[in-house]
Amino acid sequence: MFKYLMLAGLALFLPGLYALGYSIFEGPSAWMVDSRTFWGTPISLFVFWIGLAHAGTLLSAIFLALDIKLDRRTALIAELSTLVCLVFAALFPLMHLGVIENFYMVVPLLDARGNFANVSSPLVWDFCCIAVYALLSLLFFTTHLKTREIPTLEKYRKPMAWLLFPLVLWVHTVVSLDFAATFVPQWRGAFFPVYFIAGAIFSGLALMNLLLCTEGYRVRLLERLQLIFSWFMCAIWIWDLMLKGSICTSALIFAGVLPQLRMVSFIRENKWGRIALSLSVLLGLFLERLYIVSPEFGLQTSSSLNWIDWGLVAFSVGGFILLFFGIRRYLNMKMEGSSAYFGEVDGNDLADAEQQELEKENVDVRGIEKPKKGFYIQPWASEEYHVLRFPLLVGFGVAIAYAFWMVGQSVFANVDFSFANIVPLLYPIIALVTALTLFVRAYFVEHAFTLSRFEKWTCAVLLVLLAACAGAFFAGGASQGSNLSLDSQPVAVDRPVSQDHARLIWNARCATCHGAEGKFNEKFVREFYPVPQKLDLQRLDSLGSDSLVKVILNGRVNMNAYAGRLTPSEALGLVNYMRSLAKEGE
Amino acid sequence: MGMDRREFIKSCSLVAVMGLLFGCRKIPFSEVAGDLPSLKRFEDEVKLAMSQAKKTLDLVKIPTPGALKIPGASPMNRFGMAIDLDLCDSCGKCILACNLENNVPLVPAEDAARNRFMHWVDMRGNAPFMCAHCGNAPCERVCPTGAANHTPDGLSAMMFKRCTGSRFCGANCPVQARKFNFNDAQKLGLARQFNKEVPLRDQGVMEKCSLCLHRLQNDRLDFKTKLTVGVTTEDAEWRGRGVKTACAEACPKNAIIFGNWLDDKSPLVKLTKNRVLYAPRELADLDPSVVFMRGRR
Amino acid sequence: MAPFLNALACLIALGSALFLWRKGSSPYRNGALLAGFLVLFSVFCYFGGDINDPTLEHYPFRMLALCLCLSTTSLPLYRRRYLVLAQSLWCWIELFGGISLYYRGIDIAWTRIAALLCMTLCSTFLSKISKEMEFCLMVFWLAVWVFF
Repeated sequence: MFKYLMLAGLALFLPGLYALGYSIFEGPSAWMVDSRTFWGTPISLFVFWIGLAHAGTLLSAIFLALDIKLDRRTALIAELSTLVCLVFAALFPLMHLGVIENFYMVVPLLDARGNFANVSSPLVWDFCCIAVYALLSLLFFTTHLKTREIPTLEKYRKPMAWLLFPLVLWVHTVVSLDFAATFVPQWRGAFFPVYFIAGAIFSGLALMNLLLCTEGYRVRLLERLQLIFSWFMCAIWIWDLMLKGSICTSALIFAGVLPQLRMVSFIRENKWGRIALSLSVLLGLFLERLYIVSPEFGLQTSSSLNWIDWGLVAFSVGGFILLFFGIRRYLNMKMEGSSAYFGEVDGNDLADAEQQELEKENVDVRGIEKPKKGFYIQPWASEEYHVLRFPLLVGFGVAIAYAFWMVGQSVFANVDFSFANIVPLLYPIIALVTALTLFVRAYFVEHAFTLSRFEKWTCAVLLVLLAACAGAFFAGGASQGSNLSLDSQPVAVDRPVSQDHARLIWNARCATCHGAEGKFNEKFVREFYPVPQKLDLQRLDSLGSDSLVKVILNGRVNMNAYAGRLTPSEALGLVNYMRSLAKEGE
Repeated sequence: MGMDRREFIKSCSLVAVMGLLFGCRKIPFSEVAGDLPSLKRFEDEVKLAMSQAKKTLDLVKIPTPGALKIPGASPMNRFGMAIDLDLCDSCGKCILACNLENNVPLVPAEDAARNRFMHWVDMRGNAPFMCAHCGNAPCERVCPTGAANHTPDGLSAMMFKRCTGSRFCGANCPVQARKFNFNDAQKLGLARQFNKEVPLRDQGVMEKCSLCLHRLQNDRLDFKTKLTVGVTTEDAEWRGRGVKTACAEACPKNAIIFGNWLDDKSPLVKLTKNRVLYAPRELADLDPSVVFMRGRR
Repeated sequence: MAPFLNALACLIALGSALFLWRKGSSPYRNGALLAGFLVLFSVFCYFGGDINDPTLEHYPFRMLALCLCLSTTSLPLYRRRYLVLAQSLWCWIELFGGISLYYRGIDIAWTRIAALLCMTLCSTFLSKISKEMEFCLMVFWLAVWVFF
């Protein structure tokens, strides 16, 4: 069954890949563009896939945190779907950029030029939230997989779930703030966080129901929730209609009206009926996202959807099918005894199995009898908090230190910051540091689990890659250097110009970067160029007048050639003046 | 008598050599036909833009701009412009001047048909309309890389090399004053560097009115140079007097006035003293530096 | 929104809360009720306030959050957990709604968010919620709504 799905996915993916390649080559003019906001299908797809990613975390992490029983198979499928959706969700904001090579400038970390990303921009919050979300979801998924071999890891799942619970809501809230924090009249909405989260959960439930249909069983709780959320979404659309006077009718039909057919038992009990309902919801919500992101879509001033847009949709859908079912088949094959995890079992049987497990679990690891259902433990005395206490402290500390360091950057000297500008960045940092501390402590201090050689190597390689990325982001791209290079021919110079003349030229041409006193002009240079070399006496002496004159005339990396604008005698005069400045500076 | 064979070959080869020498002379790149767009194309595009321009402009009264409210703002300089609606007759010379001064590229025919031009100055409501350099700019707030930022002397600056093309600033400008380089104008033969002081922009970056930053910078450098060699100037600090933006210079009616809001001797302050100042409704709360004026107080 | 209508809003929320989470009610009933209440609150805001006022944009959702908070006091099981969650929802709506409005030039109501956060944190320490405690909580929430 999976094989046929993968073939269908491939049929969608390949032309989609072509569309993606064409888009990256041509740039933003290739796809439908809204002339008011310049955003189009890639961002709609981004919001759509990020919303779908939340389903997985909702079902596995939030249900776990709230003690709502869900069988292990559904939870694992949910977590896997999160990870695959995230891959595509992360691709779209990257490919929609006008200058893709400059994407690293969005990362709020050190920069060799002394620059810093603008931390009050919702896009920077987006980047941090999604990066942290991806990492933590990966950790959560691998932990869940490994609890089979190492049951003691189970005690880390609930704390991670409690970390992920607010994080997943935070991610989609920040995505909604991309729109709600602007002046675009159609994006007017302080209610957008709730709106987007509801839409995300709704589409995620539809995706989960769809995936469960392919697995061959159903979880009635999820189907019920899907119906309830359709009502909730309709209520939100009614409010949106009142606020703005327009509504996306196709979304209302596909995701509002048609899902009500679930109440018809004939459709509900038929597998294809359920598949149709889920697909209808997904289609409706995608059209709604398109409607939100492109306010002028459909009007004369915007272009209409072309083949590239549909190609991008096909790319993401086909890619998801390929990747998800590919990994699924891999897990089927690789994991021994996987029938207990992914076997062809009906959901009802699993529910019984879980009930037996529940009775067994009443005696927990510490031998203390677990409290019965309904008995309340204060959160601060619970086991999960015990595990999380120290990592949370570290997380808070790092986040606060980071916030102060970030706001103190020199590039923000003219920017008015308020606490509200930085709040959305804080929780992802807390979650990231807490999770990392938790696992580092679990591995190195408590020896709660061991890693096989393969896993150790994978971790090491990932760390190296991460460090390489950080280094690349720090260095940034090179600015365009000059085309000329130094040659070994001596330069014909009759006499250098007078000191005064040289001083005039220095102040006019060189001082902007090198400073009037020969120490570089900090503010100007940091905004536009990498830091120039120090012009101290020892260095100037070691280089010699000849090569310095050549540098002035022929240029260097990041310094333009002055050959056409200065004569060699002026250049030599400048070199002498430079040395006199360096002597004064000693 | 006719030439003999030897002389014929000699004269032929001479002609050939002369032809070769003539062909090998260096042809300046700009004269090669078809590579660079002609000036006429730029003029025609301005006319087309003006014919498709919006006819209304929603203005509200605003107080005279004062000092910037951002930390580190200069107490001496805040540059801005005032556009006199009583004098302007929407001739469009300012738009052409700006395009030539800032090497603004042409756009392909499909974009022109949809009224999507790259001009930094648009004609709206029969008056020239450009970025207002808001003191509390919504575009700067949302730029992820910090490419859109505010200088201490009041310009909403754009750093092309720092732009990653997310187009968030363009989305958030309430009056759509920003333009995005959808096309590689140089590759398509739509760009021409009329002014060597201003760089041509790459595909994928946003651009907008810069209040002719390059003219201000030249003036500032000139002032500093004179200061270091002891040529007397009337002030100890640079105030940007005598600088005019390209649009202000080109206006035959002097309807565009550029100057320094914080300098009493600046023509901007002197000429706006008794006038009622207006700004577009959406920008009124954002502290714009570029205002409109009409009527007397 | 006028103060009188503000107070009326919290009364409506209180009244709606009575219908939620009744004993033996199916999730369908509760879900439909929640969606219905949202529509009711939306209609109230539409006719009660100036629709062009930005602070009104998340008003129905704030009313819904208040309604949920008030309704948790009558839950039979897991009352404290859902109490904390409902208050967190209200904090969430206030905080991120506030940030969205801040970016459009309107100040955030920090006192309201701080008061709600405090109460959320304090609620986690509750071990037994007596009727008096329930009443105090409800009064606190209504006071925050009306005065902050």
